[in-house]
Amino acid sequence: MASEPALRLGARRLGISFGRRRRELSDTQFALAIGAPVLAFLVLVVAYPLGYAVWMSLHRIIFFGGYRAVFVGLSNFQKVLADQDFWWSTWVTVRITAEVVVLTMLVGLGFALVLNRRVPAGGVVRTVICLPWCVSTYGAGLMFAYLARGQTGLGTSLAYAVGITHPVDLMTSDVVIEVLAVGAAWTMAPLVAFFLLANLKTIPRRLYDLAALDQLSPLETFWNVTLPPLRYTLFVFTSIVTVLTMKLFDFIFVMTGGGPGETSATLTYEVYKISFKNLDLGYGAAMSFYLLFLIIGTTFLLYLVWGRREVTR
Amino acid sequence: MRRREFGALVGGLGGGLLGVPWPAHAAGAWSLKATSGRPVYFRGWQYKTDIVQSNVTRYNTTMNGHVNYATVTGDYPSIMEQMLMSGAELDVLYGNPSQAVHYFEGNWVAPADELPDFDQIKADFLPNLWDAWTYKGKLLGLSYFATTRGTIHVNLKAYGAAGMSDKDFPKSWDELYDQVFALHAKGVSTPFLPHWFSDWYGISWAFVFEVLNRGGKIADDETHKPLLTTDKSGPAYKTLAAWKKLWNAKFVPAEILTYDEAAFIEAYGSGRYVFSPQQLYDLQTFNDKTKSRIAGYDSLLPVQGQSWGLIDSALYMMTKRKRSHAVTDDVQRFTSWYGFKDLDGKIAVGERWMAVSMLFSAYRSIMDSPSTEARIKQAVARPSDYKVVLDIYEATPFPSGVWKVVWAPEYNSWLKDTLSSFLLQNGDIESLIRASNKKITELNDKYGI
Repeated sequence: MASEPALRLGARRLGISFGRRRRELSDTQFALAIGAPVLAFLVLVVAYPLGYAVWMSLHRIIFFGGYRAVFVGLSNFQKVLADQDFWWSTWVTVRITAEVVVLTMLVGLGFALVLNRRVPAGGVVRTVICLPWCVSTYGAGLMFAYLARGQTGLGTSLAYAVGITHPVDLMTSDVVIEVLAVGAAWTMAPLVAFFLLANLKTIPRRLYDLAALDQLSPLETFWNVTLPPLRYTLFVFTSIVTVLTMKLFDFIFVMTGGGPGETSATLTYEVYKISFKNLDLGYGAAMSFYLLFLIIGTTFLLYLVWGRREVTR
Repeated sequence: MRRREFGALVGGLGGGLLGVPWPAHAAGAWSLKATSGRPVYFRGWQYKTDIVQSNVTRYNTTMNGHVNYATVTGDYPSIMEQMLMSGAELDVLYGNPSQAVHYFEGNWVAPADELPDFDQIKADFLPNLWDAWTYKGKLLGLSYFATTRGTIHVNLKAYGAAGMSDKDFPKSWDELYDQVFALHAKGVSTPFLPHWFSDWYGISWAFVFEVLNRGGKIADDETHKPLLTTDKSGPAYKTLAAWKKLWNAKFVPAEILTYDEAAFIEAYGSGRYVFSPQQLYDLQTFNDKTKSRIAGYDSLLPVQGQSWGLIDSALYMMTKRKRSHAVTDDVQRFTSWYGFKDLDGKIAVGERWMAVSMLFSAYRSIMDSPSTEARIKQAVARPSDYKVVLDIYEATPFPSGVWKVVWAPEYNSWLKDTLSSFLLQNGDIESLIRASNKKITELNDKYGI
C-alpha cells in the first residue's frame, strides 16, 4: 500500500493539488459551537430572572416611604409553609392538574384516533379539532365563563329546552374546578392529538393486517398494536400538560378570578395576588419557588414511575 | 474682567438660559397646545374606548398633540402599578381615589396642584369630591367621573306585580332585607341581587357601603385605627348577619361570586330581580329598551333618612416618570385639556361623558348645567326620579378611613376573599369582624401608620 507522501507526490505529478488540510471539529466542539448562542440566550432570559427571583425571595421589599429591600434570610420560605392559603392553593393546583391531565390525554387520544381514519370532509374535521388550540386562553376563559354560568350558560339553555325552568349553575364551589378542567383540556387536547396523530401515522399498516389475520378484536388491536408505539409520546405529553396546567393563570383569572371565594385559587393565582395585589414581592417570590419545586417534583415522579420504563424499552 | 470677557460671559449665560427647557407656564405663557413633538402615553381601562379615542384624536388634531392612547386588558390597577414602579412609558392614567392615594404614597404620580389652571379647577370642584380626592392637602387628579355605587335600583314592574308601590319603599337596609324576605314569602323567587360580584369593587365595596349607610365606619378617617365592634346591633354585625341569612335562604344565585360587573348588570337588567344595589348612572342602561328588559320601570329607593351606597369615582392622574421638562409640560397640557377645559373654555370631555353615559362630574359647572338636568331626566323612568337621583348623590358618603390610606388596595383584596369565603363556608360573624380589625392593625403597623 502506498504511503501518504507517495500518494501526494503522485497526485502532484498528475496535476492534482490538495488544499491545506483543515482540522475537523469534534462532536463536542460542534455541539458547543451551535449551542453557545442558545446557552447565552438562556442565561439572559432564564438565569437572570431566576437569580433575581432568588434575591427577592430572601428580602422584604418595601416600596412606600422610599424603596428599600431588607435581607430576611429564609424567613419568607418559612412563612409560606405556615400559610393556610398556600396549602389550600397547593391542593387546588394538584386537583386541577390531575383532572386536566387525564381529560386532555383522553380527549387528545380520541381526536387522534378519529383523525387517523378516513372521514368525510377530513380537512374540515381536522381544522375544527385544531381550532381550540388557536384560541387564546383569555378568550377561552371568557367563553367558558359564559357557558358555565346559570344566567347565560349552556346548561340552562338545555334545561329550558326540555322544560326545566331552573337555571343550571356550574360556577359553584362544588363543581367549578371540574368546569375549569374541562375548559383547560379543551384548549390543550388538540396539541396532544396532533402529535399522537403523527405518531399513529408511523405504525406500519401490515401490523393491522396481521392483527386482522389473528382475529384480534378492535380493543385488542388498540391495546397490542396501536398503543405501544404511542406510549413514549403519551408520557412526554403527560409531562408537558402537567407543567402547563400547574402554570395556568390567565384562563383561571378570566373565568373564575380564583373564586367563588378561593375555591379555584391555584398557586399561580395565589402568587399573583401576593406579588401584584399586595405588592409583597419577596413573599410572592418565595411561594413561586414552592410552585417550581412542585412542578419539578411531579415531573420527576412521572419520569420515575413511567418515563424511565419507556426510555429503556 | 475685560469687556470682551464680560460680553462673552453674559452672552453665554443668556444663551444658556434660553436653551433651558423651562416649564411652559413659568413665563406665564400657558397654552394647551403641545410643543415637544414627543409622545404622551395615556393608558385607560376598557370603558367606551371609542369615545376616549375620539377625544384623544380631537386633542391631537387641534392641539398639535402626540398622545398615544391604548387600553389595558386584565387587572388594570395592578398593571398600572407595575408600570409605575418600573418607570415604564406611562404619563396619564385612570385611578380610583384609593389607588390614587397608593400611587401618591409610592411617589409615582404628581398632584394636580402643579397644573397652571389649578385655582380655576379648585373653584369649580364640588366640596364632597374635593374632600374625597385630596390627600395630604394635594389634589390627586382631575375628574373622570363620580357617581354613587350601591344605590338601590327597584324594578317597578316586579314590585307592582307583588302588590307594592312607592309608599312601601324601604327606608333602611334593615327594612330592605325584611321586605326582600316578605316578597320571597309571597312567591317572588328572586327578590334581591346583592352587590357580591367578583371584581375588586364588588363584594368588598358592598360591605364598606352597607356599614357606612348603617352609620358605621370600618376605620377612623384620620388615624385609620379599626373601629368595627362585635356588638350585635352594630353596623358590621347586622350587615354580616343579613348576608348570611340571605345566602342560606338560597334565593341568591351562588354564581354571583364569580360574576364580573357586566354579568352583574346583565342579571339585574334581565328583569328577574326586584331590588339590586347598582351604579347610579346605570339608570340609563336599565331604562334603555335595547339593553334591558325593565326599560321604563327602573327606579331608585329614595333617601329617607339613610344614605345608599358610596361615592364611586375615578380621576385622571399624571405620572412622575423621568422625562424631559418639555414632555412634562405636554403631559400637563393634555391632562388639563382632557380632565378640565379645552381651548374654548368648555369642559368638553366631561360634558361628553355626561351626554353619552350619564357619568357625573366633580365640576359644579357640569352638574348645575341645564343639559345635565335634561340628560338625567331622559334616563329616569319617571320625572319625579330626577330629584331622587340628586338627593342620593348629595347624601352619598365616602369611606375615607379605608380608602384614603396607603393600604387601601391591600385591605380591599383581603376583604374580597374573606367575605366570599365567609358566605361559602358559613363563617362566624364575630371572627370576621375581629379578623378585619386585626388585618387593619397589621397594615397600619406594616406601613408605620
